[in-house]
Amino acid sequence: MYYEILYKPTHSLAIAHLAAGESVRAEASAMVGMTHNIGVQTQGAAGSGGLFKGLKRAFLGGESFFTNLFTAQGAAGQVSLAPQLCGDMIVHQLDGHHQLFIQGSSYVSAPDTVQLDTQFQGFKGFFTGESLFFLAASGQGPVLLNAFGAIEALDVNGELIIDTGHLVAFTSGIHYEVSKAAEGWISSYLSGEGLVLRVYGQGRVYLQTRNPSEYGRSVGSKLPPRGN
Amino acid sequence: MQYGILDAPDFAMLKVRLEQPGEKITAESGALVAMGPSIEVQTSMRGGLLAAAKRKMLGGESIFQNTYIAQAPDQDLFLSAPAEGDMRVLELGPGQEFFLQSGAYVAHIGDSLQLDTQWGGVKSFFSGVGFFMLRVVGPGTLFYAAYGAIHEVQVNGQYTCDTGHIVGFGPGLTYGIRKFGGFKGLFFSGEGLVCGFEGTGSLLLQTRNPASLASFLQPFRPVNSRD
Repeated sequence: MYYEILYKPTHSLAIAHLAAGESVRAEASAMVGMTHNIGVQTQGAAGSGGLFKGLKRAFLGGESFFTNLFTAQGAAGQVSLAPQLCGDMIVHQLDGHHQLFIQGSSYVSAPDTVQLDTQFQGFKGFFTGESLFFLAASGQGPVLLNAFGAIEALDVNGELIIDTGHLVAFTSGIHYEVSKAAEGWISSYLSGEGLVLRVYGQGRVYLQTRNPSEYGRSVGSKLPPRGN
Repeated sequence: MQYGILDAPDFAMLKVRLEQPGEKITAESGALVAMGPSIEVQTSMRGGLLAAAKRKMLGGESIFQNTYIAQAPDQDLFLSAPAEGDMRVLELGPGQEFFLQSGAYVAHIGDSLQLDTQWGGVKSFFSGVGFFMLRVVGPGTLFYAAYGAIHEVQVNGQYTCDTGHIVGFGPGLTYGIRKFGGFKGLFFSGEGLVCGFEGTGSLLLQTRNPASLASFLQPFRPVNSRD
């Protein structure tokens, strides 16, 4: 199977081309359209582990509880996929050696040759309420990622500090620690940056040029209040 | 009259030049960006009060439409759609038919172009925002817009798509609403109900879904503390 990405970069649409019998998994709600011979199974988790892993993914990974497994039955077929917000999509090829750590909401889809697991990063911003969770993708094959805005791929050799809201994914040659943006907690809070990720090592980092939480706060706060 | 679409695909805008006095174009209220000084605007309820009320109730479109009539030669008019995305022109010959998701309508040229709101049935009422189709019958010129890019699928047989991503489709296709991925899928797949198309013809999809954006923003709304 392979992914074709159209209408880059602002309103990108990915088409998963499946040969007869091939399957692809996608985040719930990503499906735009599909050919008639595609069978759909809604599953609790990333292929294995069932309910518990599904729960773990839903609560820790920031991803939908359920994913859909699309299978081309009897003939080749296509599934088109799109993210929630405007922005680009890219394909990262897993080589079987290096893992890819994906920020929860940046994952869109991957074939079954890719295993997904929740990498618990149990850190929650005390002031900001921002939390940070990763999905670890391993195995071999393409992984489809989405971004809010454009995607920048940076090859890191050394150290880089990243705002967590702008992080899409990074490869396993990179180590990370979560830290405050400024020296103290108070100034960190006032800086408006909240949590940052300090990454070091060698590998690739994908960044998104817009921050969904910032966007949500700037637009959502102007909407009428929700009733309780 | 001349027209062209500028700034496509991300922020498309329609430019119309009314070359002769008396030439006119009718548009959704709210679509105007700018216009020349010698254009008369007539506000009306398309198809009369009853048809307009039906459209408002069923399709969520505005009751009113504006007709822009040139009073002097070479008057320019600019029209746009509410969401960011692409825009298209469709020339319909006499009796030629097209189905448009009602929120996608921008403007049309031609007094004999028919625009009739179709009730999609009880099931489609529950299937999501805006799944009401305008049946457009030529002769005339139709301008429509999408949220995101417009992706054309040539259906030959059957095709399934998310209701929030439909822009329009040509004659030769029929549709029905059905569950997605079985019983469990209805509640947990994130898709709920989908649209199943059948026949041979062109189906136009938009690459973003307005309801998705709304559900992204929902948790960011302030919480009313009075209750």
